[in-house]
Amino acid sequence: MTYVIEATGLTKRYGSRRGIDDVTFQIRENEVFGFLGPNGAGKTTTIRLLLGFLRPTAGRAFVLGHDAWRDAAAAHVDVAYVSSEPAYLGQLTAAEQLDYMASLRGLSTGAWRLVAERLELDPTVQVKKLSRGNRQKVGVVQAFMGEEPLLVMDEPTSGLDPLMQREFLALVSEVRAAGRTIFLSSHNLPEVERACDRVGIIREGRLVDVSTVSELQASHWRSVNLVLDAPPAPDVFELPNVRVVSASARDVHLMVQGDVNPLLRRLASVDIHDISIATLEIEDVFLGYYDGSPAVGADAREVRP
Amino acid sequence: MIPAFRLELRRGRMLVLSVGLVSVLYAGGITLFYPTILENAADFEKLMEIYPKELMAAFGIVGSIGDPGTFLNSYIFQFLWPLVAAIVAILLATRPAADAETGFLDLPLSTRMPRLRYLTAAIAGQILALAVLAAMTIGAIWAVDLLIEPNFPLDRLVLSGVHALTFGLAIAGVSTLLAIIFLDRGRAGGLAAGILIVMYLLNVLAQLSPDMADLGRLSAFRYFNLKELIDTGTYPVGDSLLYMSFALGGWLLALWAFRWRDLAA
Repeated sequence: MTYVIEATGLTKRYGSRRGIDDVTFQIRENEVFGFLGPNGAGKTTTIRLLLGFLRPTAGRAFVLGHDAWRDAAAAHVDVAYVSSEPAYLGQLTAAEQLDYMASLRGLSTGAWRLVAERLELDPTVQVKKLSRGNRQKVGVVQAFMGEEPLLVMDEPTSGLDPLMQREFLALVSEVRAAGRTIFLSSHNLPEVERACDRVGIIREGRLVDVSTVSELQASHWRSVNLVLDAPPAPDVFELPNVRVVSASARDVHLMVQGDVNPLLRRLASVDIHDISIATLEIEDVFLGYYDGSPAVGADAREVRP
Repeated sequence: MIPAFRLELRRGRMLVLSVGLVSVLYAGGITLFYPTILENAADFEKLMEIYPKELMAAFGIVGSIGDPGTFLNSYIFQFLWPLVAAIVAILLATRPAADAETGFLDLPLSTRMPRLRYLTAAIAGQILALAVLAAMTIGAIWAVDLLIEPNFPLDRLVLSGVHALTFGLAIAGVSTLLAIIFLDRGRAGGLAAGILIVMYLLNVLAQLSPDMADLGRLSAFRYFNLKELIDTGTYPVGDSLLYMSFALGGWLLALWAFRWRDLAA
């Protein structure tokens, strides 16, 4: 089987400093592959190896059948890329910058207009006058303006507001529907869950897991905080995937692994004053890859319905 | 390569225009004084006699100040051009390093453009910028020459511009190599400027002290003397070839190194 991206034993060391170590994975055609990891885990190093910016210390990577290092330019013919903090020339307007990239990619002038309108980007403003979020929009527009078979995106939504993140996810869906492939690096777990088919998890330079999103969802932990109107029955939270972190008369803090539905069914019999369910910060999720449980008491990001 | 080259030109135009304007004003302004200097050559030479000949030679003033070669070489080419060439060549040649530092380099290199083509476009931009500056400087001298009519020979002026250009290209070639080795504009630019300052001092010391004359051979400034070319029409072929070998050597090594080196995040 031919893969769009195939990395085998990919290793990069910067002298004594760790880069990535023995990373092996494959991405199939028309797949949205999430690449998750905390800051400094090796996501950007992996992407730079895939784009031929870095020479592997060991191992090889192939992108669309081309050796990522030796034959980078040939691979790039069919690749659109956006970095986590795109650096543009301050004196150019967003339109000039995008036209420059379009010309380098063999696209027509103004190929970016439709995507720019969807992301509400004002193309007439000089890049140096744009906010961080708007500069990031330029990067996202640049990634989606062509029809290359492979999009490589390094934390493309950092700095985007929630509305634009939603538009980004819609663009990802359209790209997938068009049969194209996406490699999406992120440290935003919910975003990866919504956008991706499969997820690779990298931590301290090593790929610790590659699984489908549903497998990931089944294995990762959520934090549930309850404020009850009355003390609950003693066994109400006794479920195989639920741990009671703390419980007082009315305040209960639970950790739930995977499916929350069994817990929600139990809660139907309890008078609840308030409830919040939070996804854990990704660093806490990664701890689960070491000891099998999340870091109890870690700060969680609340997602209220 | 065309879009990258166009962008190079766009990015370099303000630098070339501003430095070119200074060159034009300086070269044209100094040339305007040539008739006055001719009229008072004897007095000027008497005045100069108070300085040791070695010191005057160290700053390129050899022979009569009224000779076109001495005048143009010492007051314009040796004084103005090394500064102009060094500033522009170093700033343009170290731009790929600056682009790597900011991350801008990732944009063109993530497209179908090979690394070699990107750097070749940058080198072409350096050559064009220095050629335009040399032309502006020679053009200013020639334009004022038409006004004051000392009749500097145009062909010799043009050849002076060519030799001056090769001097600038040598700086650009070596600076490009340093930029690619370090991918750090500050280090590459600082080192290139430092080498030039040391070379300048070596040349001055070699002129001042016969014991150190051989050291002068190590200086690029030793080979940048246009007096004979302007006075006799003899082109310094060997000196130009020496500069071009440094220019081409620097660029070729830079292209080779750029193809194989890591572009760190």
